Amino acid sequence: MTRQLRVDWPACQARGLCHELLPEIVDLDEWGYPIVTGPVTDDLRGDAATAVRACPRLALRVVG
Amino acid sequence: MRPPVPFPDQIRVHPGPALLSGIERGPSLAAHRSQHGAVPRLDSAALTDVVSSVGLRGRGGAAFPFGIKLGAVLDRAGRTRRPVVVVNASEGEPASSKDSALALTRPHLVIDGAVASAVALRAQEVHIVLPGDRPPAAAALRRAIAERDDPVELIEHTAARRFVAGQSKAVSELISGRPNLPVTSWQPEATSGVGGRPTLLSNAETWAHVGLLVHHGTAAYRRFGTSAEPGTALLSVTTPGAVPSVHEVEYATRMRDVLPTTLAGAPVLIGGFHGSWATWDTVASLRVSVPGMRSLGVALGAGVVHAPGHGTCPLALTVRITDYLASQSAGRCGPCLNGLPALALALHLVLDGSGGRDRVEELATLVVRRGACAHPDGTVRLVRSLFTALPGEVSAHATGGCVATGPMERLAS
Ligand code: SF4
Ligand code: SF4
Repeated sequence: MTRQLRVDWPACQARGLCHELLPEIVDLDEWGYPIVTGPVTDDLRGDAATAVRACPRLALRVVG
Repeated sequence: MRPPVPFPDQIRVHPGPALLSGIERGPSLAAHRSQHGAVPRLDSAALTDVVSSVGLRGRGGAAFPFGIKLGAVLDRAGRTRRPVVVVNASEGEPASSKDSALALTRPHLVIDGAVASAVALRAQEVHIVLPGDRPPAAAALRRAIAERDDPVELIEHTAARRFVAGQSKAVSELISGRPNLPVTSWQPEATSGVGGRPTLLSNAETWAHVGLLVHHGTAAYRRFGTSAEPGTALLSVTTPGAVPSVHEVEYATRMRDVLPTTLAGAPVLIGGFHGSWATWDTVASLRVSVPGMRSLGVALGAGVVHAPGHGTCPLALTVRITDYLASQSAGRCGPCLNGLPALALALHLVLDGSGGRDRVEELATLVVRRGACAHPDGTVRLVRSLFTALPGEVSAHATGGCVATGPMERLAS
């Protein structure tokens, strides 16, 4: 199964750091909340792990 | 905000063939035992057998196969992880009355289903979540609980007065002593629900069907419905000027049979506030069926049939419902908190004939699957169904008209 970045929506406060760290698969919507645009491919695993650690709200997880 | 279809203070429950047979004898435990007998003892294999062989599906809206959920709980359960059984009677959908109907007329059938399952699973607790918005139904369930003498503990809770309070994660949160709001689900309830334990959570109607099955077996259950879809379903029917009513119908019953002929021609909202609009022609062709209705794009959901009748503009009603649904967002998830009010605003523009259609679709795409619960998805289903089923009404408003009411219908009604 492909790995996906999932957002814990009640926790996320739209700080946008995930987009800075992982622009390949994270856009921001008009309110600043992340839009996940694709799976966590092998070459993105390191950056995804960094984003998960860096999220100030601990609102990100890689699942699958 | 008050819902555009109010919570009923009165409902009419029609006698039915299975769940609702014998309701004229009243809801007491004595009447129930003389009709159905004592709670039979089943082991988990026998329980799995009866619910799976008739293909019982959950009646809370998603129609998930009950046997699969039960299997997931059994997989996870063990000596150290005693499962928990939950009866969700919170019924936060204002246009639904069926769980209230069961609370008022058949509470012991519901509780028997849950207790027999708890015993089969070696669970020690059955949690019963009472509706916060329906005092008569809550009182009826409390009276029933007080009459019982079961080998498991019955624990009552009262749902918050909020549309999303009955969502399964929100119910697990309530029972775990936290606010009755949805949270992000990393695992299904069956695997990790109340207090992290495997949790068999179903709505009241589902438990009543389990009750029937454990009392009378599958042959009796198959006397109704079709071989592919045995049994019956409860429909909550609201029509103009009538007390909301609850009907128990066999699967494959014609949908139009529960509606007065005077409504012919008017669109109907099937499945409630998270449901879908259907034209009268579609309604006239529908038979009550989970897969059959799904294939026509009008999911049965929790069995709500809201027929506002001629003279109510379905677009105006959708705007009022969307306003209400936006106000019921638990306000936790950014896309839902921001997106649903924006969606409601765009719909107001469509109603007024001042644009908004592209914005509606843009917002719909933006909010789906971006919340802790399916509230945004359900809201989008309602809105999209209006555009798909009743495009004539939408375009009439673009030029200042209204098919249902003529030119002047506005939100005041
Ligand atoms: S970094 Fe975390 S809090 Fe910030 S937008 Fe991304 S998920 Fe939300
Ligand atoms: S999606 Fe909306 S209704 Fe559901 S938990 Fe999040 S904010 Fe609340």
